[in-house]
Amino acid sequence: MATISLIDLMKSYGDIPAVKGVNLDVADGELIVLVGPSGCGKSTLLRMVAGLETVTSGSIEIGGRNVVKAEPAERDIAMVFQNYALYPHMTVRGNLEYGLKNRGTPREEINRRVREAADILEIGALLDRKPRQLSGGQRQRVAMGRAIVREPAAFLFDEPLSNLDAKLRVQMRVEIRKLQRRLKTTSLYVTHDQLEAMTLADRLVVMNSGLVEQIGTPTEVYDRPATLFVAGFIGSPPMNLIPVSSLSGNEVSAGLPSGTDIVGIRPDAFVLEQPAEPSLALEASVELLEPIGGESHLHVRLNSSGQSIVLSVPGRPEIAEVSDIVVHARLADLHPFSAQTGRRADNP
Amino acid sequence: MQTKRTIFPSKLLPYILLAPQLAVTLIFFIWPALQAVKSSFEREDPFGFRTTFIWFDNYRRIFADPNYLSSLGRTAIFAISVTLLSMAISLLLAVAVNRLLRSGKVYTTLLVWPYAVAPVVVGILWWFIFNPSIGLAPYILRGLGISWNHRIDGNQAMILIIIAAAWKQISYNFLFFVAGLQSVPQSLNEAAAIDGAGPFKRFWTIIFPLISPTTFFLLIININYAMFDTFGIVDATTSGGPAQATNILVYKVYTDGVLNLNIGSSAAQSVILMLIVIALTIVQFRFVERRVQY
Repeated sequence: MATISLIDLMKSYGDIPAVKGVNLDVADGELIVLVGPSGCGKSTLLRMVAGLETVTSGSIEIGGRNVVKAEPAERDIAMVFQNYALYPHMTVRGNLEYGLKNRGTPREEINRRVREAADILEIGALLDRKPRQLSGGQRQRVAMGRAIVREPAAFLFDEPLSNLDAKLRVQMRVEIRKLQRRLKTTSLYVTHDQLEAMTLADRLVVMNSGLVEQIGTPTEVYDRPATLFVAGFIGSPPMNLIPVSSLSGNEVSAGLPSGTDIVGIRPDAFVLEQPAEPSLALEASVELLEPIGGESHLHVRLNSSGQSIVLSVPGRPEIAEVSDIVVHARLADLHPFSAQTGRRADNP
Repeated sequence: MQTKRTIFPSKLLPYILLAPQLAVTLIFFIWPALQAVKSSFEREDPFGFRTTFIWFDNYRRIFADPNYLSSLGRTAIFAISVTLLSMAISLLLAVAVNRLLRSGKVYTTLLVWPYAVAPVVVGILWWFIFNPSIGLAPYILRGLGISWNHRIDGNQAMILIIIAAAWKQISYNFLFFVAGLQSVPQSLNEAAAIDGAGPFKRFWTIIFPLISPTTFFLLIININYAMFDTFGIVDATTSGGPAQATNILVYKVYTDGVLNLNIGSSAAQSVILMLIVIALTIVQFRFVERRVQY
């Protein structure tokens, strides 16, 4: 159990900066998800916390102790790797015991912890197998087990689910969440999958090109994206970002904060019938209707600017492709952004 | 493994294509080998007028000959020393190079050069370096109070051919070790580091077991090399001397057969060597494929 603090953490490879000054405070027992596109520095950040990358400047505190100069082994952390990194020549039991043996844990204690971890993860029957005899999901569990037996101050997850198939990924995601709730171990979790990030996180850290774009709970980040990048990254399909200039025929500029030149509208904020509240109306032509079960994605092109936008509408509307429609969105559902700063225009 | 099957228009064509290689193998390997087996059962009179078939007499004589038995012992010492020395040094070099990111390629290229040098040239190279009259090494050793003269001292002569033979093989071992090390995922090393193992422990408990197939393969190859491919090195440096001290089996085949013209005994010795090669090869194929895996 411990808190983790990152203070002005920077990393550069030669002249190329990878992480450009990150500040983050992780509370005890919290699960923080670092999310961002590949190359945004999230894995580098995690590896710095683990001690696998050197720190260019700034500091990392785990449990109040500055660990920048400490070896990975001295940081009291456990890491789950993307490719699991199980020792292929050891049995599952050997894999679980390795870290404990290295620390000189007494035999009975090792046995107790291995049994406990095996029970929690339901891998008791696999203890004498070699990793190559396990399925992807089982390997994933063993990798988790190896982290659990150590009873570390913090778990670090480096895209642990990206090697699993879609169905197993959802299942393991739920299990990781339950496990983390149960053990209440402070965790840092890296993923590029925004759905995974949204469902797992106590708080999200959205990163882009080495910088933190926004830190907040999943709902906060979804409901009030702080920057244009976050607006486009979180949510699927992504938020539509429409220049104010192409909202011709709508008296919206009065209602928007000064400096707004782009409005963001979530696909599900659009409606096909004019709502009672103040709203804007956009003329568009339908290009494609994608039914995906409970809802449908409507790809339309705005008549004013020719921009393609996506609407998410419930059910399966009877709309012919290549037809003209008018779509509406409540003014309250608009996210005002400034293209110049890339940030929200209505932030205090 | 998937292999592409080629369909030939004529049944004869594949045989014609294989013929040159088969001819070379037959004429330069199979035929002489059979000749050696045949000769090993025969005795020839000193003038080459008559050959008599004598069954296993040559073999019986060889194993009763103290010269042969001591040569066998020396060969064992030589082969084990060369194998251990060259494998240990090349593993050390491979580990060192594997830690480098950019300059690794340069070192790899430089370290591979000795492999392109012919054994005789290697022999002469080390003969020069250790030449008691003009060599650099004896000069330095004299400064340390060691008198070096491998022409007189049998142990020193043995050390010389071990160094020369090991040096040549380092390149080959090095290449395989580098490839082996690179196939071990970096994340395993990192996981072990987080699991509290120091660099030395990580190497012995994680990396070394994972490259054991490579190590075992090289072990066999090196023993083979030391026992059979070192004729040139011995010939150019010590010529088996002084007083038989470096007369290893493969060199003894040559001195007994070509110099002393005892064809029968020499042939029997080469057949024994051949059996050792076959045995080592069988071991290699059976075990490399099966036992050493994880």
